[in-house]
Amino acid sequence: MSRGGRQTYAALSVLAAGALVLTGCSKGGSNANDNEKKDQQNAKRQQSSIKFGNAADSQGPAAAVPGAKAGGTLEVLQRDSYAHLDPGQIYVSDEGSLATLIHRGLTGYKATSSDGSKHEVVGDLATDSGTTTDGGKTWKYTLKDGIKFSDGTPITSADFRQTFERLFASFINQGPTYIQQWMADTSGSDYRKLLPDGPYKGKHLPDSVLETPDAKTIVFHFKTAHPDLPYALAMAGYDVVSKKGDTKEKYDKAPLTTGPYKIQSFKSGKSMVLVKNPNWDPKTDPIRNQYVNQMNFTFNSQYEDSTKALLADTGADQTGISFNNSVDAGNIAKVLGGDAAIKARTVAGYQPYVGQININQSHAALKDKTVRQAIAYALPITPIIRAFGGSAAAEVAGGFISPTVSGYDASFDPWGKKKNPGGDAAKAKALLKKAGKLGLKLTYGYQNTPEGQQYSTAIAAALTKAGFNVQRQDIPAETYYDQIGKVNNNYDIYASAWGADWPSASTVIPPLFDGRAVADGSPNYSHVNDPKVNADIDAANKIADPIKSAEAWEKIDEYLAKDVINAVPTIYYKQVQIAGSKVGGLVYDDVIGGIDPRRLYIK
Amino acid sequence: MTSPIDVEGGGTSVVVDGAPQPPTKPEDRKLEGRSPGQLMWIRFKRDRTGVISAFIVIFYFVVALAAPLISKLYGKDPYTIYADERPELFDSAGVPVQPNGGISSEFWFGLEPGNGYDVFTKLIYGIRTSLMISVAVTLAVVVTGILLGITAGYIGGRTDYAIGRVIDFLLAFPSQLFFIASMPVVVSLFVSPRDETPTYVRVLALIIVQWVLGWMSLARILRGTTLALREREFIEAAKVSGASPWRIIRKEILPNVVTPLLVQATYMLPSFVTIEAGLSFLGVGIVEPTPDWGQMFSKASTELVLQNDITYMIFPGVSMVIFVVAFNLLGDSVRDAFDPKSAR
Repeated sequence: MSRGGRQTYAALSVLAAGALVLTGCSKGGSNANDNEKKDQQNAKRQQSSIKFGNAADSQGPAAAVPGAKAGGTLEVLQRDSYAHLDPGQIYVSDEGSLATLIHRGLTGYKATSSDGSKHEVVGDLATDSGTTTDGGKTWKYTLKDGIKFSDGTPITSADFRQTFERLFASFINQGPTYIQQWMADTSGSDYRKLLPDGPYKGKHLPDSVLETPDAKTIVFHFKTAHPDLPYALAMAGYDVVSKKGDTKEKYDKAPLTTGPYKIQSFKSGKSMVLVKNPNWDPKTDPIRNQYVNQMNFTFNSQYEDSTKALLADTGADQTGISFNNSVDAGNIAKVLGGDAAIKARTVAGYQPYVGQININQSHAALKDKTVRQAIAYALPITPIIRAFGGSAAAEVAGGFISPTVSGYDASFDPWGKKKNPGGDAAKAKALLKKAGKLGLKLTYGYQNTPEGQQYSTAIAAALTKAGFNVQRQDIPAETYYDQIGKVNNNYDIYASAWGADWPSASTVIPPLFDGRAVADGSPNYSHVNDPKVNADIDAANKIADPIKSAEAWEKIDEYLAKDVINAVPTIYYKQVQIAGSKVGGLVYDDVIGGIDPRRLYIK
Repeated sequence: MTSPIDVEGGGTSVVVDGAPQPPTKPEDRKLEGRSPGQLMWIRFKRDRTGVISAFIVIFYFVVALAAPLISKLYGKDPYTIYADERPELFDSAGVPVQPNGGISSEFWFGLEPGNGYDVFTKLIYGIRTSLMISVAVTLAVVVTGILLGITAGYIGGRTDYAIGRVIDFLLAFPSQLFFIASMPVVVSLFVSPRDETPTYVRVLALIIVQWVLGWMSLARILRGTTLALREREFIEAAKVSGASPWRIIRKEILPNVVTPLLVQATYMLPSFVTIEAGLSFLGVGIVEPTPDWGQMFSKASTELVLQNDITYMIFPGVSMVIFVVAFNLLGDSVRDAFDPKSAR
């Protein structure tokens, strides 16, 4: 998933400026060393791979959270209202967090450690994570007993047929498209031709694609091997939709739920109330707990607002939390700076996104590898880290694969950025001289946000020092990804960020670096088209064993970052989140990329 | 604003070009001949507030003009990114590690959170940018105001009507919104898409837009004054003696509108400084890394600075408050000196 423009809007406070002028003293910056130490431990713990669980792993109930008790009301402060509640339309991360509470699919991620770091893919509504006998072309799932929708109707394979067939209808346009493409064996949006109107006009997917021989069995048939299916099915976008209750477009505002909570009321843009779902049976669910009686969501709470409210910790905010808001950049030092009681209420971890500065491969001057090496050496990472709030919000990246993705190698550091994040201007200048391109004009397109302005000036200064003639060009934040997504854009270098859809680099490397997919709007922002990379991608996609495929992806990643240099990895996005003092079970879940809503209780 | 012709014999009309000095009254002990300019200067010198304000204003202009020299002596410039040059002075978020924004004997006003610019040089260069733009706008506005205002007032008739409607139209214009909306368009017209927007384009755009939307009030005042002057005897006399309209405007009317002109200009300049700062604060004026007063305010209002380095706000804040107050007091004093009988 592509990362949109995160913006902090500076308050228009000239008057406040005048008033505060008189109050004048301030303490110095925080010393964040101890945080860094903890983060290195974080990085270490991420390397373990995720395995596919068997039937025993998939049995409920979920492990109890130590010290948890039932009851109470949780106040949830969120920035954005949920635009979609229909599982088929859910893709963005905040809706994904909500989906863990209300929707269930065939598979899911079960936390196997109490700190949210280790996971395995298990059967959620299915009895196991899936069985295949032919290396990933045919997958068979059997449904558990006692699973029901919130209206009490049992979940059958007919509901799953509906779930997958309606994904081909035109009104489902926001969710993931992996499985649809696999079923139709096509790329792009051609998959819709397989079943243009979905199941609504009497047509259905043939048994050669999706087979439901009885009420409990679902069989997927693909033309090519897709060993990642258990990961894909764990996405909220493939969670079950009721055949009886399918109201098409209207389902997006009032869906039937299957998780431990159901929607009591939802006022788009204002508020939402979740209450316990009496038809959810904990014995069928290996993943979720249900401690809190009720969750009250309030929307439009900006990062600064939710941070200040939760820091103050008074009244209802004592049982307050935000599933997706981070502590804003300005308050990070205050939150992590000393007060142990406040620090105990925080969790920190990686977001799924990895930042990179693309080097436009369509421009002739940048086809010279020495020039690209010079850019890679000169590029400073510290300005980006500073702009996003320091080491608690961003970490120097080595490759394009995030620490939360299987196969991540912490020691990979092709340009020495981890040791020397300020860049190496002298070495870059020598390389540029060698290439005979001193004074080469580089048009740097940057996102016109306060952060973008800040780090782009510092990056431009560093590149200038290395002998480039840098021309900064501001791009409006709202249309940034549209502008850099054009193949014939005017920019030489520009930043982008990408997050894996599931913890396998098969959702990172192919979309970003497959040269056959260069097109307007394609996330291959650097327009790289390297025959070796293309061939390696095809080979890696066929590896069935998740551990071996992770190794193959990491090799492609290293080849790209070190030898192709179509982009320079910059940062792993991180975040710090805070909750009220009466919220228990606070854990940062690496797969969700935020607080785990399924373990929370009120102290 | 009271126009000078309301005050008969008050010494306000700086009538030159052969017009006799107004006779000093016989009871004056020293029968010393003083020009109205000298009278004004004497009155101004007696006004202590005015003199102090004048010195402060002069100080600002000297600092602005001498900014490159000062920063050379001080040994730093406002473009160096100290967060990358001297990383030991900052935490990872770019907040100076030392208290009070890193104020030390080396960095007198501390370091800016974020990229770590030197606040002292950034401030004096920022004052330089803002004052240069504001002075340019004021000059342009004064010239336009004189030309259009006096023309409208003196010629009257259709010309007056036409100029009057243009003034009405422009006064009704939402100037800040217009500037915010038009800045990217203006820039894309002049700059190649492969190049960075040069600072002079932004400066010119700022000057042009403030000028186009800023001359109307002065022109109105001058029109009113001219309208009254036109009927006075000395103008009639000049007309009868066959002087051309251009000569009458230049030699008879213009010297008589110097007072409102000067007073208005001293009020306008600080308001242009604040408008310029406001636009840069909103991100459509001067942008980083070019130092600018308003941009320092916008930096100061970010959560990073508010939460971690309140001290930073003192420097742009206090300096601008002092400047605007001093310049307005100076404007008052100038008006009092020219026109002592008008009530405040």
